[in-house]
Amino acid sequence: MHFRLVDQILECGPDRAVTLKNVTLAEEYLQDHFPGFHVLPGVFMLEALVQSARLVLEARDRAKGDGAPRRMVLGGVRALRYGNFVRPGEGLRSEVIVDKETDDGSVVFRGSATVLRHSQIATAASAGSAISSTDTAVSGRFTMRLVRTLQF
Amino acid sequence: MSHDEIFKKVQGVLVDALGVDDDEVTPTARLTTDLHAESIDFLDIVFRVEKAFGFKIGQGELFPDNINDPKYVTDGVVNAAGLALLKEKMPHVDFTAFSADPKLEKVSEVFTVDSLVKFVESKLKAGAPA
Amino acid sequence: MRWLWIDAILSHEPNVRLVAIKNVSLAEDHLHQHFPEGDDGPSQPMMPASLMLEGMAQTAGILVGSVRQFKEKVILAKVTEAIFESDVFPGQSIRYDAKIDRIDDMGASTIGTISRFDHRGGGWIDIGRTEIIFSHVDQNRAGLDLPEHNFVFGENFRAILGGLLPKT
Repeated sequence: MHFRLVDQILECGPDRAVTLKNVTLAEEYLQDHFPGFHVLPGVFMLEALVQSARLVLEARDRAKGDGAPRRMVLGGVRALRYGNFVRPGEGLRSEVIVDKETDDGSVVFRGSATVLRHSQIATAASAGSAISSTDTAVSGRFTMRLVRTLQF
Repeated sequence: MSHDEIFKKVQGVLVDALGVDDDEVTPTARLTTDLHAESIDFLDIVFRVEKAFGFKIGQGELFPDNINDPKYVTDGVVNAAGLALLKEKMPHVDFTAFSADPKLEKVSEVFTVDSLVKFVESKLKAGAPA
Repeated sequence: MRWLWIDAILSHEPNVRLVAIKNVSLAEDHLHQHFPEGDDGPSQPMMPASLMLEGMAQTAGILVGSVRQFKEKVILAKVTEAIFESDVFPGQSIRYDAKIDRIDDMGASTIGTISRFDHRGGGWIDIGRTEIIFSHVDQNRAGLDLPEHNFVFGENFRAILGGLLPKT
């Protein structure tokens, strides 16, 4: 699979981003998660938040204008709660907001994502629009930090 | 263990479980509305309180079990029988505000940090087994 | 991509502890997007932390599931805390060491240590830790339309689980 968990950027700035990921049966790993009950893995909801955070960090670096963007990875997770499942044909709407920056250059984010569902019955009013729900799929805090390699 | 010592330990449990800061965990803070606790957090809190204080908590003892029974709930509103049952099962909770608008979906809002502290105090006083 | 984020079980102490490993290899497609050459640096394939979290969740989930002979559907419900101190690169191995902290009818809390091995030296080095809570789904999700069979511990796990699974 391609390791891209953001399909559309709905909003993006130096402090906040909102993104969309579509979930489709074309994603083969769903056959294993789970057989007969296909749902987006919780860690992929987290990865969608992480990739959304990276967009915010890029915007932040651009706003600061000092040199090349830094490559940041997930360094920690805190109180991340899972709620509703997200199934093929549904979408995940992620929102990440910068909480604070720490002394070592790490950035802490608050993140949450809701499930997007198309209406079962298409009416003239709803035709063409996905009905978003307030059903939360995941919410919590996470930290992005610089890559750390070990020298040999 | 003094009231203050119990409060500090309960504060620690909530900070660890909910990822909130010390100063957000005040006695009147509601676990759901103010500290953003969700249903899975209640299980985490039960586990951590058991560990912190060394006693066992039975199912439904700290937080209500599913009271969604027609005997106690009518059209999403908790009736007099239901309210009486809740008060009996959870003496550590203050149901005054809830009684004014007893919607089932709001029942989790009754839990304050103080109700958790009161629960621990009564368990310790009763010499609860680990 | 198969959704199996552990390769083999190293040891199992029923109801207590499970240790599993995962090898990281350039043969894995997704590493080539994490990260490709870009403005933020040259191509640098490395294990995404979210997938290390999944490796630990699978290790701890199997440990918890085996307590009730895989009759309960065990679902990842909460990551109270996870710390990833250092990163993992192709050629290195990851070890997930999971222990049950508490378990009851509603679910289980687990703690885990993540370590990394490099053949070039140093032995196993701790690089992270996790606190993960699982929900015993059937007890918790009344009203949700779930299939009867235990879809969590399916065929894809059999190769790994081998002797752990009850004889059917």
